[in-house]
Amino acid sequence: MINLSKDRARNKFRDAPIRQKLVIIIMVTTAVAMFLASFGILGFDSVLFRANLSHDLSALARIIAQNSTGAVTFDDPRTATETLNALRVRTHLVSACIYKDGVPFARYIRPGAPPVCAPIDFTDETIFGGSELTVSYGIVLDGKRIGTLMMTYDQQEIFQRRQLYGGIVIGVLLLSSLIAFLLSSGLRASIEDPIVQLVKATTEVAETNDYSIRAKKVSSDELGQLTEGFNEMLSGIQSRDNSLRTALFDREEALHEAKKAHERFRFLAESMPQKIFTATPEGKVDYFNQQWSEFTGLTFAQLQEGGWDSILHPDDVEADRVSRGQALETGEAFQIQHRFRRADGEYRWHLTRVHAMRDATRAISMWIGSSTDIHEQKETEEALRRANDDLQQFAYSASHDLQEPIRNVTIYSEIIARRYRTMLDAEGTQALGFLAEGGRRMAMLINDLLAYTRAGATDGEISLQDASVVLKNTLAGLSEAIRESNATVSYDELPKVYMREVHLQQVLQNLIGNALKYRTDEPPSIHVSATDMGGAWRITVADNGIGIDPQYKEKIFGVFKRLHRDQKYSGTGVGLAICHRVVERYGGRIWVDSTLGHGAKFHFTVPRHSGQWRSAS
Amino acid sequence: MRLTALYAIAFALFTGTACGAADAAPPLEYRLKAVFLLDFARFVDWPPGALGALDSPFNICILGPNPFGEELDRVVTGEAVQGRKVAVQKISRAPSPGACQIVFVGRPEDSSIDIGALGRGILTVGEGEDFVRRGGMIAFVVDNRRVTFNINWRVSEAAGLKLSSRLLGVAKTVIR
Repeated sequence: MINLSKDRARNKFRDAPIRQKLVIIIMVTTAVAMFLASFGILGFDSVLFRANLSHDLSALARIIAQNSTGAVTFDDPRTATETLNALRVRTHLVSACIYKDGVPFARYIRPGAPPVCAPIDFTDETIFGGSELTVSYGIVLDGKRIGTLMMTYDQQEIFQRRQLYGGIVIGVLLLSSLIAFLLSSGLRASIEDPIVQLVKATTEVAETNDYSIRAKKVSSDELGQLTEGFNEMLSGIQSRDNSLRTALFDREEALHEAKKAHERFRFLAESMPQKIFTATPEGKVDYFNQQWSEFTGLTFAQLQEGGWDSILHPDDVEADRVSRGQALETGEAFQIQHRFRRADGEYRWHLTRVHAMRDATRAISMWIGSSTDIHEQKETEEALRRANDDLQQFAYSASHDLQEPIRNVTIYSEIIARRYRTMLDAEGTQALGFLAEGGRRMAMLINDLLAYTRAGATDGEISLQDASVVLKNTLAGLSEAIRESNATVSYDELPKVYMREVHLQQVLQNLIGNALKYRTDEPPSIHVSATDMGGAWRITVADNGIGIDPQYKEKIFGVFKRLHRDQKYSGTGVGLAICHRVVERYGGRIWVDSTLGHGAKFHFTVPRHSGQWRSAS
Repeated sequence: MRLTALYAIAFALFTGTACGAADAAPPLEYRLKAVFLLDFARFVDWPPGALGALDSPFNICILGPNPFGEELDRVVTGEAVQGRKVAVQKISRAPSPGACQIVFVGRPEDSSIDIGALGRGILTVGEGEDFVRRGGMIAFVVDNRRVTFNINWRVSEAAGLKLSSRLLGVAKTVIR
């Protein structure tokens, strides 16, 4: 029962608010300390007081005894009584008796006290009895005991003193408790306030989840450190919370972005006319756009299951596998032309490009491929190529077949002229001359036409040619014409170019030949030079001839385009067309700078590098 | 033994009856006075030199007739004052200086001796009311059938003797 209530009290104390605890602790400590101190002082005082009293009474007894020696010696009880009566001031002295020769000699009895002297005691000491203390003291004269003084002292003084002290103790206790209470109210704030602040902050944080809340630091003691630690912890949580939030937000944002990007890609992929697919880094297709299904008539699942082989033309399957395998191995983009089977069973040509998409670490994250239907284009190209080939073939065979009858015309007109000259009149001779001339011209035309068609028919490797050498050979071939026209031909050092000798010679021969042909009365002066244009060489043939009206600058490069009809400037109008055709085949350009009557500068460019040869179109 | 004797003395004194024990013995009054005479010595300080060497006796001299008989000799036997043995001397003339410490004047009516001129360092004790007026220091008187004494303090002071206040306290009268 007692234990139970004790436990209850302990629990009650344990659950009491800190302010109450502090007050209780302070009050209990103070009270206990005061009690102990008071009882200590009281006990000490009791002992001290008794000792003092005993000492005091001994001294008193000695004085009385000494003062009584005369009276005792000379048998004067009156004087002795008077001496004893002086003790009246000691109110707690009950009785004092002087004994001489064992019988009472003189005495003092406190008024109201029983008129008895204590029994004589020769031990000369202070004896504390139950309620009074007795002092016996010998009256000695010259070393001889002549009597005894006995004094009885009541202990009322001790009791009174204890009472007084008790009162004082209680008073001090109450006062000190009051002061302790008042002080503790002030002092406990220094402990209570920081804790209250902490509790407040904790509660707020718990209720609001707002980690920017800080406990107010009130002091710099352990509680202050606790507050600081708490605040630091809060700021740590706050920053972590923030970064968590940010990370979460970023992640959501990134996810959102990714989703958006994905949607955008899907939309883009679906809206494009091309067939789009994506594949995993390992090459497994994970997306086909709608165009694939529309084209093949297969579902995504069917497409994925069947794979490329199911829709590719059997002849393209092997090449396709090789390309894909290489791409997966090297990670490089590739493009391939192949045929896919349409829903109706027709195979159609497609140009497929596949690119690897890489992430930040340069690792392949996916493959993206697009297939464009180039079937029509491919067919057109094929038709065009066939037509061009036919045309070329026709032109070649036509000009070749034309040579035979023209040769006959020329030969037989010469035979007539030789054998039957005498049989013809002047008119016949003239007609025969026209016939021979026409045949000769016709043969020239056919020769040039043949050269023109041959200008394009070039295949195979192109090697580097020294243009200077080619120029010298050309000039050697033209030496008769140069000599006849009394012309001067000069030239700079020419570069090495990627051009076939026969073609370069064709161009140079035509240009220099034109310069010799379209001359003024002045002897022709021709200069050949070369200029570095960066990606290409520009070769220029400049003359001092009749020049060309700028309005014909383009026209002159057409086939059979002649500006001059008169006999003075013979030609078929094929030379510049051949030049144009050759230069363009090599990826170059040909043009003319000229003013009528002031000579002309023909320029053409030759690329510095090979590989720009255009295949016949 | 002594206590019984004292009881007897006190009884005799207060009742005032002289028992008349023995012819040789002096009356009770003188037996008491003999005790007192020795006791006076215990309440008096003698001036330096007045007591003589340590082995010299403390002399109580009786000048003139001896009223104590053998009683005084009996009282002082074995007693000592200030470390000196007490002796009783009978003298008929004024003592030479240093010979007596107490002089009991047996015949106060004898005017041939100038009590006041006995000299320094001598306690003069006599009897009767006149004694102190004639220059004596302590005089036994019987007051109301009780043996007491008067003291002439002036004379004792002049003689260089210091009388204890306890002695003065119990005297009947003190001339100052």
